[in-house]
Parts: sequence; structure tokens; C-alpha cells
Amino acid sequence: MTSHDTARHNFPLTGRTAGLISCHICHLACPATAYPGRCPRCGVGIRLRKANSLRRCWALVLASFILYVPANLVPITTTTALGRPPHSDTIMSGVIYFMQTGSWHIALIIFIASVVVPLMKLFILTFLLASLHFDWNGRPRERTRLYRVTELVGRWSMVDVYVVTILVALVKFGAFATIEAEPGAAYFAALVIMTMFAAESFDPRLIWDQAEDGHV
Amino acid sequence: MSKHHHHLDEYPQPAAAAIRQSKGLSIVWLVPLMALAISGWLLYKSWSEKGPLITITFKNAEGIVEGGSKIKYKDVAIGEVEAITFSDDMKEVVIKARMDKVAAPHLTDSASFWIVRPRIAAGRVSGLGTLFSGSFISMDPGRSGNQRRNFTGLEEAPSVTTSDPGKYYLLKAEGLGSLDIGSAVSYRQIKVGQVVGYGLDDSGQAVSIRIFVNAPHDQQITANTRFWNASGVELNLDATGIKLATESLTSIVSGGIAFDLPTESNAGEVAEENTTFKLYDSRKAIGEESYQLKDTWLVYFNQSVRGLTVGAPVEFQGIKIGEVSSINLKFESIKMNFRTPVLLKIEPERIFGRDPDLTTKDGHNFLKTFVARGMRGVLKNGNLLTGQLLIDFDFYPDLPTQKITFENSIPVLPTRETELQRLTDNLGSILDKVDHIPFQQIGEDLHALLSTANAAIAQVPVQALGEDLQTTMKTANATMNRINSMADTVSTQTAPAITQALEQLRATLADLERSLGSDSPANHQLRQTMRDMSQAVRSLRSLSDSLDRRPQSILYGKEEESP
Repeated sequence: MTSHDTARHNFPLTGRTAGLISCHICHLACPATAYPGRCPRCGVGIRLRKANSLRRCWALVLASFILYVPANLVPITTTTALGRPPHSDTIMSGVIYFMQTGSWHIALIIFIASVVVPLMKLFILTFLLASLHFDWNGRPRERTRLYRVTELVGRWSMVDVYVVTILVALVKFGAFATIEAEPGAAYFAALVIMTMFAAESFDPRLIWDQAEDGHV
Repeated sequence: MSKHHHHLDEYPQPAAAAIRQSKGLSIVWLVPLMALAISGWLLYKSWSEKGPLITITFKNAEGIVEGGSKIKYKDVAIGEVEAITFSDDMKEVVIKARMDKVAAPHLTDSASFWIVRPRIAAGRVSGLGTLFSGSFISMDPGRSGNQRRNFTGLEEAPSVTTSDPGKYYLLKAEGLGSLDIGSAVSYRQIKVGQVVGYGLDDSGQAVSIRIFVNAPHDQQITANTRFWNASGVELNLDATGIKLATESLTSIVSGGIAFDLPTESNAGEVAEENTTFKLYDSRKAIGEESYQLKDTWLVYFNQSVRGLTVGAPVEFQGIKIGEVSSINLKFESIKMNFRTPVLLKIEPERIFGRDPDLTTKDGHNFLKTFVARGMRGVLKNGNLLTGQLLIDFDFYPDLPTQKITFENSIPVLPTRETELQRLTDNLGSILDKVDHIPFQQIGEDLHALLSTANAAIAQVPVQALGEDLQTTMKTANATMNRINSMADTVSTQTAPAITQALEQLRATLADLERSLGSDSPANHQLRQTMRDMSQAVRSLRSLSDSLDRRPQSILYGKEEESP
């Protein structure tokens, strides 16, 4: 009890301490007594926190890690050019190719968007989940900032998928040059989508709940 | 998990929300499970399809790309180049390739690899597809032998793969000529095989050419088969004239080998695979080769040998017995004159006949006798158009006897000058003689003679001569009269008798024609007889047929046909 009180005194008033639930659609502050029930204004089901947030996030992060392996091992494109044998590229071989041909800025963009960002996102989410799971209470503000970074940067992972789609559509010169998408592209797209869902299912307010309560 | 939420239950606030606990495993765990399943299946698939890693050594790797170039068999990819490195001594390129599992059992000693590149040779264009698709490595799977993982790539595509039935043979030649890999091997102008490889002998003195002859034509190749180079056009310009020979249009362009049996020899046993044969320079060379014994003769000419070339025929009474092998000019400082020694390559068997016991020594002994009987060599004009000379040996018994000599055991045969030279020599000596005739003396003598004659004629009794002539003419007249009366007798008495005989002959012939003519009884009877006879023969044949079928009928008589 006392720990709750001290927590409450150290932190400003929140919806949870005030017995209010924010509707996640219209953000109406509904009384907690309305749960389980519907938002009196927009009629959507109300919850104090995202449903099964940690569990879902764990599952999706794990799936993303699994998908990360084939996404990087399986070729994402096959380039057929006149006078050369068909050439299959994985993400990393593409990056190396661009680097060797002098286009280091393109290599950097692809490397950051396709390799660094998804990995970073997965590691951040893993860290956040672990911090909640094992009650590492410190630096809630920094952890929240980390979560915002994943949200901000996560969408850029899709760049690679867009590049592949556009290349496949544009480079169709019959016998002269053709680029075909390979299964790796699908794995990579699935990976990016999984990480997006994972980030979406994570509820950052749990960090503050933990900070207030000492545990989640 | 549950502890994430349990604190809300303990929340002391007035309007604490009720917390629902999820029971058991959430459906969300299916997502990583599915991801694991898909990725795992993919990894397993690529691992299970992964065949052995092999290395192929090439002289260079032109057109081969790391991680892109395929290894193909019958144009189907069965492997991929993973890495290209160098051998330790940097002399060769080592290609590491990952093969598919299907290829694994065929990676044996007899498997071969080569790089397919666009290749344009005379009469053949191949690998054009690689202009667009890039080079690839082609594989000819091994049929037998031990499994292996390190291969040495072929520099040239083998023109024959293990799936083609036929036999390989080895030909030895002095030079390659215009032959190349893929040059046709033809039998009676039909292409039955091709050149599959060539290289220098270990000794470096000859070229060995590997050919492949497709089945069933390999049955034509026997122990006595002769191969010759049928490349290009054979143009012969020699003392016998101009001769042009060619095998086929493609062999002109890309060279070719032909084979056949020499006309005089029998086929013999069918040759084994990898039998070695000699490759003759031309079809003509085969005939010349069949004479085993070779001899060298030497002749000296003291005249111009302009028009005589190395290879010019040497004939004996117009039949070729050899050819000129070298012509030199020799200065004799003692006598201060020039001689032209001409070495002749002679095949004695052409003169003395094929005799296995014949030796060069025998030939020389024969030659001694021949030279003693007047055998001489003479330069002859072989071809008026080209001015080519040949050397002909013949007997000139009326010439002064000469003896055969030997120089380093090479017989030196005497020669005589050419006919033209002989003619001019004779003419010269005639003119010489004419020159020596004492025309003035003759004229004076003639004059004296005529004067004497004149005096003698004046003394002839012309009167007496005329009377004698008259008497003679009269006698001749009487003789002529007698001959005339004899001819009269012949025309009046003998001629009618001959006419009568001819009449009788005509009557006889008419009778004969009547009795033997087409409608004469004799003819009719003859035809009847012939018809009867042919019937008799027919029934005889049917009798023999039935006897043949049922020999027992000769004992038991003709029986009814059994049903």
C-alpha cells in the first residue's frame, strides 16, 4: 500500500489512478466502472491497456526473429542482363554489390533500411519486453523514447520492399534486362509487417505503470 | 505472464477496472510457430537439395560469374558456381561449384566439364545463346569410374559426348594441316565422324589426332583401313599436267579426314577402339606408301636442268618408278666445270615387281646388267605447256658401253643428252661436215667430167641405134595382139558358164526357202515339236514338285489330299 502511495505521490495524476479509461478511438475519458463495456460516446469496446500487449508482442517479435533468417539468406531478386548469366541477390549481396561499384550512398541507404532498422527495432522491442518482464524499473523516460524511435523508424524498413516492387515493374526489357522478385522479398516483407504489428501491439503505458508500481 | 496484470486486481481505486485473465496458450503464439515452420522447411529444403561441392580447374574463367553461372547438362541447370579462386601457383583458375543432388552419382572419373562460349568456326556455329545468357559450364556426366570431387575442365567442348555410340581412334600425322576439332571424318564423302582432339606426340615429332566415328560406321574401320587428310584442295602441277582434287565443300573450308580400303587389300578384322593409324597426306600418298623398298640413285647431267623440279617423276620406259628428291649444282675445281648431281628416290618394286625377298643389293646387281646393256637416263619434256621435265630411263644398245659406279654406295647411273641436244649436236656435226666438203674441187672435177662426156657422146652411132629401136617396137606389137585374142576367148566361152551356175544357185535357194519358210510344213512341225517338248518339261516339273512334297508316292501311288 505504502509503495503505491509513494508512487502515486511521485507521479502526476494518471487516468489509471483517477479510475478513468481512455477510449482508444475517440479518447473520451470513460469511468473505469464502465469496463467491461463500451465507450458511451463512440460505442467501441474500452480497455485500460492494450489487450494481451506483452504476450502478443513477445510472439510477434519471436516470429520476426525467425523470419529474419530466410529474409537475409534467400535471394530477393534475380537480375537477367544481356550477356551475363542470371544473377540472384540477397539483401547483403546487393549491399556489397553497390558498395563495390562505388554507389556507397545507395548501399548505405539499403543497409540501414533493410538490415540495421529491422534488427534495431527487434532488439529495442526485445529489450523493452524484457525490461517489463524482469522488472527492470530504471529510466522509464529513455525507454519510452526508445519505443518512439522504433515507431518512427520502423516504416522505413519497407523501403527495400518498395525498391524491389518498383524495380521488378520498371525493368522489363525482355531479353536485355529483367529483374524478378524472389521468395526472399516475401520473407522480408513478412518480417517488416511482423515488426510493425509487434510495435503496434506494445503498450508503452506499461512502462509507466511499472515505474509507478515497481512492477507491471 | 499473468503477473503483468494481477496488480490491477489489487488496485485500491474506487472504480478499478476488472481484469480478464487469458487462460492457456494464446492463439498469437501460432504466428512464431508458423514462421518457424516456413523458415525451417525452407532451410531443410535447401539443405536437402544441396549436393556435393566440387572444384573444376580451368586455364581461364572467361564469362563465368561467381554466384551466377550455372552448370548445365542438356541445357538444364544442375549446379551453380559459388566461388572463383586461383590455384596455388596462380596458373589456373579454380571454380568451386555446388552441384545438385541429382548430379552426385555422376561425378566420376569420366565426367567432364567445359565452358560454353560463343564459338564460330568454319562450318559450325555454336554457343550463340551464351551471347545473351552469358557463359555457363557444361557437364558431360560420367558413366563409370570412381567418385571424385576435383576435376580439370576441358578447354574445348568435346564434340562427342558419352551418350553417342561409336568408337575413338588415334591418327598419327606429320602435321595438323587445316584440321580442327569438329573437322569431318568421311567415308565415301559421307560424314561418319569427326575430329575430337589433337596434340603433339610425346616425342614432339608427330601430331596425334583423336577422331570419333559414329556407330554403325565404325564397323568399316578395319586393320587395313587407310586414313588420309582430305583437307582443302589438292592442286597438282607437275610433268603430268594439272590435277585438282577435293573431297567436299566443307572439307575445303574446315578440313577433313577421309578413309577407305586400298583397292588391292582385303578388309581384315574390325579395328579395336583407340587403334592407332597413320594419317597420310593425301590419297595418292597411300599408293606410294605401299611400296616398302626404297632406293636412291644418282645421275649427273652436264646440261641445263631448267624445268626439272624436286618431285618430278622418274620413269622407266614411260612408267613411273620414283621421283626426284634433290637437285644440286656441283663445281669441280680441278676440271673447272659444273655438273648437276640429281638424287632420285626410286621404288625398286615398281621395276622388279613385289617380292618380299628383294633387297636393295639385288636391285643394284640388276642395274649393273641393265647399264651394261645400254640403260641410260635422259631428261625428257614431260609437259609442253608447263615445260616440266622428267627423267626417263631406257635402253640404248647402240651407245658405247658404260659401267655403273657407286658414290657412298649410291649407284650412279650414266645419262645421255636430251633429244633436242642430240639433234642440235647432230646438226652441228652435219654442218661441220658440209663445211669440210671441197666444193671447188668438186666443181672442177665435174667440169672435167662433163667435158669428157661431151666428147664421148659425139662418137655414138645414132643411126644404128634407131634401127634397133624399130625392131623392138614391132615385136612388142605382135605380143599385144596375142593378148587381145586371149581376152576374147575368155569373154565368149567362160562367161556364159558362170551365168548358168548362178541361175542354178538361185533356184536352189528358192526351194530351200519354200521348205523352211514360216508357213512351210517343216517349220510347222518344228514348232509343234517344240510345244510338245515344253509340255513334257512342264509335266516333268510338276512330277518333281509332287515328288518333292510326297516322296512316298513313288512307292504307294498318288493318294488323296488329307483334309
